[in-house]
Amino acid sequence: MTVPTLTGDLRTGVLPEDAVIVRARGVTKRFGGLVAVNSVDFDIPRGAIVSLIGPNGAGKTTFFNMITGAYTPTDGEISFDGKALITKSRNRVRSKKPHEVTALGIGRTFQNIRLFGTMSTLDNVRVGLHVHMRSHWWDAVLRTPGMRAEEQASIDRGMELLELVGLETRADVWARNLPYGDQRRLEIARALATKPQLLLLDEPTAGMNSSETAEMTSFIRRLREELQLTVLLIEHDMRVVMGISDRVTVLDYGEVIAEGTPADVRANPRVIEAYLGRGAAAGA
Amino acid sequence: MDQIAQTIIIGIANGMIFALVALGYTLVYGIIELINFAHGEVFMLGSFIALVLITTVFKITAGTPLALMVVQVLIVIAITMLATATLNVSIERVAYRPLRNAPKLAPLISAIGMSFVLQNVALLIFGPANDGVDRILPNINVLSVFGITNVTISAEQVFVALVTIPLLLALSWFVTKTRQGKAMRATAQDPDTAGLMGVDVNRTIAITFLIGGALAGAAGVVQILYNNTTVWNLGFRFGLNSFTSAVLGGIGNLQGAVLGAMVLGLINAFSDRYLAANWTNAIVFAVLIAILVFKPTGLLGQQLADRA
Amino acid sequence: MTAPTASTPQTKPIKPGVIGWLGSLADAAMAAPGAYRQALRRHRRRTIILTVLLILAVIYPVINREFFQAYNRSSSFPLPFPEDAVVTFMMIFCIMAIGLNIVAGFAGLLDLGYVAFYALGAYTAAFLASPHFGSVSLVLFSNVPPGFPGIHLPFWMLVPLGFAVAATFGVLLGAPTLRLRGDYLAIVTLGFGEIVPVVFKNLSAVNLDFGPIHLVNANLTGGNLGINPIDPPRFFGISFGSSSGIAAVYLGMILLVGAIVIARNLERSRMGRAWMAIREDEIAAEMMGVNLVRTKLLAFGLGASFAGVAGVMQSSYQGVTTSDFFMFSTSILILIMIILGGIGNIWGVIVGALTLTFLDKTFLPYLGQRFQAISPDLPNPSQFNFLIFGILLVVMMRFRPEGFIPSRQRAAELRHAPAGQAIGSAAVMGDAALASEELADTLAAEQVVEVETEAAVAADEAAEAEPPKDTP
Repeated sequence: MTVPTLTGDLRTGVLPEDAVIVRARGVTKRFGGLVAVNSVDFDIPRGAIVSLIGPNGAGKTTFFNMITGAYTPTDGEISFDGKALITKSRNRVRSKKPHEVTALGIGRTFQNIRLFGTMSTLDNVRVGLHVHMRSHWWDAVLRTPGMRAEEQASIDRGMELLELVGLETRADVWARNLPYGDQRRLEIARALATKPQLLLLDEPTAGMNSSETAEMTSFIRRLREELQLTVLLIEHDMRVVMGISDRVTVLDYGEVIAEGTPADVRANPRVIEAYLGRGAAAGA
Repeated sequence: MDQIAQTIIIGIANGMIFALVALGYTLVYGIIELINFAHGEVFMLGSFIALVLITTVFKITAGTPLALMVVQVLIVIAITMLATATLNVSIERVAYRPLRNAPKLAPLISAIGMSFVLQNVALLIFGPANDGVDRILPNINVLSVFGITNVTISAEQVFVALVTIPLLLALSWFVTKTRQGKAMRATAQDPDTAGLMGVDVNRTIAITFLIGGALAGAAGVVQILYNNTTVWNLGFRFGLNSFTSAVLGGIGNLQGAVLGAMVLGLINAFSDRYLAANWTNAIVFAVLIAILVFKPTGLLGQQLADRA
Repeated sequence: MTAPTASTPQTKPIKPGVIGWLGSLADAAMAAPGAYRQALRRHRRRTIILTVLLILAVIYPVINREFFQAYNRSSSFPLPFPEDAVVTFMMIFCIMAIGLNIVAGFAGLLDLGYVAFYALGAYTAAFLASPHFGSVSLVLFSNVPPGFPGIHLPFWMLVPLGFAVAATFGVLLGAPTLRLRGDYLAIVTLGFGEIVPVVFKNLSAVNLDFGPIHLVNANLTGGNLGINPIDPPRFFGISFGSSSGIAAVYLGMILLVGAIVIARNLERSRMGRAWMAIREDEIAAEMMGVNLVRTKLLAFGLGASFAGVAGVMQSSYQGVTTSDFFMFSTSILILIMIILGGIGNIWGVIVGALTLTFLDKTFLPYLGQRFQAISPDLPNPSQFNFLIFGILLVVMMRFRPEGFIPSRQRAAELRHAPAGQAIGSAAVMGDAALASEELADTLAAEQVVEVETEAAVAADEAAEAEPPKDTP
């Protein structure tokens, strides 16, 4: 698949069906009395790098979690690559479970790193390969040739992915003994192991200084180009957002308050008000 | 019909004993999210302490004059409650407090170990056979006062209520009205913040164990005077029933524990009467499993925020 | 679990199919001496010690019969050498410890009712290799004369059957626990561990009138008295039951070797990694595509199957089984074995099982005899075995929760629980505030010292800690 040239209007509802990899309509999530996400419509164009931004508490991670199946929405529908993730029938909303979503081709990283700390770097990545491996427990018990071939292939593929993120020399180190930046990259390698078409990155540059951030930014761009991925980012660092996004969507109090190109969004008075308060918007 | 009424009365009486022990489970779980496996054994040791006090120290018998009996029984209750309260606090200090920062299953396993230790201590001191006292309270049917003769409420059953109800009321007052009670509820909600607000978390937890232990001691006295018997592995059956009561009512919820205990008392009474005592334990376990699988928050829901 | 890096040369291409599999077994067999020589070179002392221990263990039953037992019979100061029956039970308990290690050690699911599967395996053998169902007669590959009442299947059929029955129930009993947290899961498994033996005990007088089934006072399970006699294992005309002495021990050893191989293969596989992942962080594992339900049920099922095989061995070996053999305390005993020995580590739990079986069945009774010889008033330690085991549990949890020979992963996890899990970590600060007010409290003096060190650590952690809640 060649990365489509992403010119023109990318806003929700404008692109034809096959140019969109995720289509979300009317997605709502209520926790008791609190409405975390309120009737959000959202499209992710294929091959695009889309950023989801907004003040703390805006509902960004909740929305992520609904795409991946961790939360079931209170209302709405989401489809991925033409297949339904969230369906609604007769007022009951059903969601695919997270491991099914992963099998379909969505990978993710976490805002607070969730690696398997006492497993090696390589084994962390190999867990990511689990979903596409075929060996059963009896193959394992008998150590059939098929199983051993698959194990060796998983080691080879795991090392490839580690090379991609520059961690091939730390393959045997326990994940929790890695420095912070390496842990973030390991999380991405693990997510890539699930063979995603769509990669969800939750604050990938949190806690990084400017040179690390610049590295991560160009890395994400490389991922999109070399692996033909679509990327959805939650980000707070505006340099990253403005730097690599094809499209930016802004959430506030669970609602979409703006979307468009980075330049559009930056000048939008509602966005400024959401981040900086009414006075700042008035003065802009 | 009379049989059913009688079974109900027996169920409620035993339910009250379950309630006293269940409160210990629910208070401790509410505050440190630990299933105190050893609590049933604290109750069992309480019953043995009461046994020794009644038969050897005070030598209370059916022939003792009523006024003296009342005073002596009150003293027995006081001493037993003090002893079991101390025991429970010591257990916390030795087996649970050092593990406060350990993964959650470590104190649970430690509690199991403690439970075996206490059972075997009782076995060592008192031997394997059932032990008991002969009937002490007068053999009367309180209901005969109202002209009802085909259903019995015995003096013992009234005694059970006379001990249990004031204790439940006192506990309720303590938890809702006193400063220490508020500290307990705060610590149960969020121990870190409570500590930052100046609550002595260690002492609050110790007091929770103290109260739980005291209630178990009272239950032990009641057990001896009502069921007239005790044995080294009594704690298993009572612990099972009391813990199930606490879970049924909603673990962490005090009213729930009492409600659950009543239900379990009835289940036990009906199962013993109409099925076979052999099956009762299995049925109680089945009830416990059913609650945990289908409605883990219990009947009255969780009073406390669910800390994941 | 260390993984070879991609730079490890792949010596031979992997051939497919059954021939390829047999070929790989042959390759492994031929590579073994080379691997052994390499181990000798790399860790000379350890390899030699382990080899000697292994040889001693294998020939122990013979040495025991020829020398130790004769010594004990003739000496006035006998020594606690385990007899054949005890060594056979050591093998049985090792198999169960390995099985429970899969559930609790690999997958991190605390099963307090493991004895249920032991019972299921034992009763499977009891039903299918005894005169119990006297109204039918089914004799297959057994040296029991044809026409003899009851069902009589040979041992080599019973083992996979026990495996399958226990595995099935492992899945059935594990299914309700899937969404429960650690301590609730433990309680539910405990419940099943109690219910199953009670069911076996009480089905001794069943009256059932349901459709085509008419049972009047049917003795399905033998109740308290149990079922006996159960056919002993028999190969090549030799009995391997309890009357055979050494032969049974070696049968047990063979089963144990099989258990070790299976467990090791599972550990170093896709499933093994999935179990470790869900133990570390179940949510992250699910997000990475691990099917939690299937993975956990597999742990329960496969773990239970080991106990099933152990149960088949028990009832075939002893020739009798009753519900009294299967009590809650047995589940806890096996738990102690893996906790003491080293949770998560196959060799650790084997050491734990050997040690505890020795303590329980040989050493404590031996002490009892010695004490009795000195004075009949002294208590008999073997009656208070669980007092000792209970103290052991409390002490181990306090000082060495990972056991003596743990897997490095579990040791690391148990020693450095993440700060978020700690209950009352701010208790330290609360104490500091009040310590100055409490004059006569000797405890305060201890806690001040604790406070100073812990406050320093807490300050460091606070500086690095990320906010605990995800922003929604």
